[in-house]
Formats: sequence, C-alpha cells, structure tokens
Amino acid sequence: MKREIPILLTVLSGLLVTLAFFTRGENVAAGIETHWSKAVNAELLQWALIFFSVAFILGIANLVRISLKQIQGGGADAFYKTVMLIALFGYLGVGLGEYHGWWSFAGEGEQPMKLWIYDKLFIPLQATMFSLLAFYIASAAFRAFRARSLESTLLLVAGAIVMLGQVPVGDQITDGYASRWLAFLMVYVNGAGQKAIIIGATLGVLATGLRIVLGIERSYLSE
Amino acid sequence: MASLRDFDRRWIFLIMAVIVVGLNVTGGGGRLPVSEYVHNYYDTIEALPEGSIVMLSADFDPASAAELLPAYTATIHHLFTKKLNIVNVATWPAAPPYTVSEFGRIAPQYGAEYGESWVALGFLPGDDVAMGNIGQSLASAYPKDDVDETPYGDLPLLERVGDNMDGIDLLITMSAGYPGILEWIAQVGGRYEVPILAATTAVQTPDLFAFYPSQCAGFLGAATGATQYLQLVDEATGGAVEKERLVNQKRMAVQSGAHLFIILLIIVGNLIYFIGRRGA
Repeated sequence: MKREIPILLTVLSGLLVTLAFFTRGENVAAGIETHWSKAVNAELLQWALIFFSVAFILGIANLVRISLKQIQGGGADAFYKTVMLIALFGYLGVGLGEYHGWWSFAGEGEQPMKLWIYDKLFIPLQATMFSLLAFYIASAAFRAFRARSLESTLLLVAGAIVMLGQVPVGDQITDGYASRWLAFLMVYVNGAGQKAIIIGATLGVLATGLRIVLGIERSYLSE
Repeated sequence: MASLRDFDRRWIFLIMAVIVVGLNVTGGGGRLPVSEYVHNYYDTIEALPEGSIVMLSADFDPASAAELLPAYTATIHHLFTKKLNIVNVATWPAAPPYTVSEFGRIAPQYGAEYGESWVALGFLPGDDVAMGNIGQSLASAYPKDDVDETPYGDLPLLERVGDNMDGIDLLITMSAGYPGILEWIAQVGGRYEVPILAATTAVQTPDLFAFYPSQCAGFLGAATGATQYLQLVDEATGGAVEKERLVNQKRMAVQSGAHLFIILLIIVGNLIYFIGRRGA
C-alpha cells in the first residue's frame, strides 16, 4: 500500500489536471457552467501552493539543523554559519514583530526596520555579489577563453560579436555592423537553436509526464 | 612570455575597476538607436485604450535590479501616462519592496489612487504553479492584497478584473530568470491568450528570440533595451524619467569600456597562447 497509494494519487492528479486543460470554462452568456475538472484543478493548484509554503519552513528547519551541527563541530565555516543564523532569525523577528505590532524600531514617519535592512544591507550586498562577476569574467577571458578548436573559436568570435553589438561603442568602431551581426546571430543562429532545444525538451517532458501519469515512471518514489 | 601568461590577475581586477569607476565619473553616454523589439514593447502599450488593465509582474531581486529596475520604473511611468490600470504581482520573494518604493514614488505624480488605478498583490510562492494559479483564478491566488490586507472583492480595480485573466488586457514581466517570462508564456500567455511583454536580464534575453513575436510581442533586452525604452518614455512623458535615462546612458558607456577590455583580454590571452605553443 505504501507504493500503490502514492502511484494512485499521482495518476489521478495527473489525469484530472490534463482533463482540465481540455474542458470548458464558465460562459455566462451561453449559460455554460465550469466543468467539474476545472474546479478540481483549481483545488489541486491551491494545495500545490500550500506545499510550496510548507517547503519554505522545511527548508529553514533543515538549514538550521545542518548549520547548528557545523557550529557545534567548530569547523572553518562555524563563524559564517553563526552570522547566517543570526541574520535569518534577526530579520524574521524584525519582520514578524513589525507585522504584528509587537515592536517597532522605526520612528514616526520613518520606513519600517524590515525595509531599512532590505534597502541598506540586502540590496548593496546582492548588488556587490553580482558586480564581482565583471572581475571574474575579465580574469577568465584572459586565462581560459582559448581558441583551441574550431568550436571554441566559433564560440569566442560569437561571444565577442555579442559583447560588441550590445554596447554603443560596438557600432561606432564597426560602422554600424556590430548590431547587425548581433541581430543575425540572435535571430537566425540562436533563434533556430533555441527552438530546436525547446521542441526536443518539451517532447521529453511530455514523454516523462505520460510515463508518470501512467504509473510507469516511479523514480519519484525513490524506486 | 611566461611572465605575461602567469602575471597576477589582481592587475586585471585593478584595470577593470579603474575603467568602471573612471567612466562612471567622467563618461556620459549618448542616445542609442532603438531596436525593433523595444519599439514593439513601447507600441504594444501605446495601442492599449485608456482604462485597460495591465498585470505587471515583478520577477526579479536586487542582484538583477541594475538591469531591470530602470525598465520597471519606466514601465510604471508609461502605463500611468497612458491612464492604464496596473495589477501588480510578484513571483520572486525579494521583489515586493521595489513595488512599495516605486509605486509609492510614482503613483502620486499621476494622481493614481490605490485600489482604483493600481493594486499590489505581493509575492506568491510556487513558481510556475503560482503562475498557473494566477491564470486560473486571481481571486483564489490572492484572497487579500499586499498593502493592508483588503479582501480581493473590496478593491474596485479587482472587481473590474473579475476572477480570471479575461479581465487582464496585457501581461508584463520584469524577468530575471526562473520563474519568469518563459513560465508566464507557458502557464498564462498561451492558455488564456493574453499578450505578453517582458524586460529581461542579458542572460535570459537569447531565450526569448524563439518566442518573439508570436508569444512575446516585444521585449527590453538587458540594460541596453531598458536604456532605449527610457529614451522613448522620457520623450513621451516630457522628461518624467530623465534622471533614470541619463544614469542608464552613462551605464552604457561604462559597459562599453568593460566589454572592450574583456575583448582585448581575450585577444591578448590567445596571442600569448599561440606564441607560447609555437615556441614549444
């Protein structure tokens, strides 16, 4: 039963959601009511959202469990794990407290502490992390981007054209050709490749979906 | 040659920093030619009749804000200039504070009343499942709003929208990755026949060419697209986004310098590689 019930639930859910795709919606003017499968589909979607929300809590619990274990072990990352836990529960506490009116750190007319932390810490930190990419890409461009084969040469040339075509100076030094080459690469080469990949991947998803709905694919049960 | 090949990469970091900071201080970018994709984004909004309802989804976070926030700001200005109504949603948890700050700043400039001209419904977890839920029943996905937890039916704008996507005339996403434009196209665009526009990060822009123009009518690709759009909106609004336009035009000059430096590094790195290989 531990195997059969999950498979039965999966098959039923899959069939109902698929059925809802092909059934009628409400049309008041024509006097048509919503098909029952659409109502079931809506309910299942609500359940899925609840699962996602619960997954957040499970994720936090797991993060705390693993971090506490590492802090107790006194490893190299213990300090960073401690900072992470303080940040996690500190921000959670500030947010919950301000939401429920338990406490407020902001004066009259000032933005809530939750938003202050977001503006003054979270935004600069994330922006800094992302900005570091420019330095790493520059270093990688010098050390790793080598024309070792025909494929890597094509990749390098395409990359250089895309970088030139994306910025105004590219057109200035190539007399307007950089953006035209970029458009050709994006629309014809990239567009055709993307479509082929998407069609292939979608067929794969369809096949896997069918296998799950029909109960053939059971890897999600750790089988 | 060996010293050139193995030289300290911190020199590269330093030169890159000098280029970025130097151009930020001295550089002033000029006007960019506007691409077809940006024109289509702009024209699709222009073609909507007054009072139409647009769903604007903030699907980004601070890491991608440098590319997407200017587009978000310009889009809000553009929509309010055209007297269009906005239903704001978010599928990225870090996006709603941007909604609070941008709408709080821009809506009063146009006399746009909360609940009448715009609503903020906030973050919905669930990625593409959340999008599917929004498409099927907006009222179920968001029983209350994100500003003061007003019930869905008590907000006049949402009453006009009704329960599903039939009441939405256009969907615009500020898309930083997953979930984003590709999931909106799959979950909502095709199923409910809602036209979609997008502003995307540079990384995601190539993905869109497979869907343009049939499933995505127009898009702002990265900072370049956002700058071109800011130019159009700035003209249309009589300078409402002048500050953002000037900042973005300067950013394009900075990006030009950084891109040229990277291309130069690729060339020099390969020259050293080939000369070294010949020597060996």
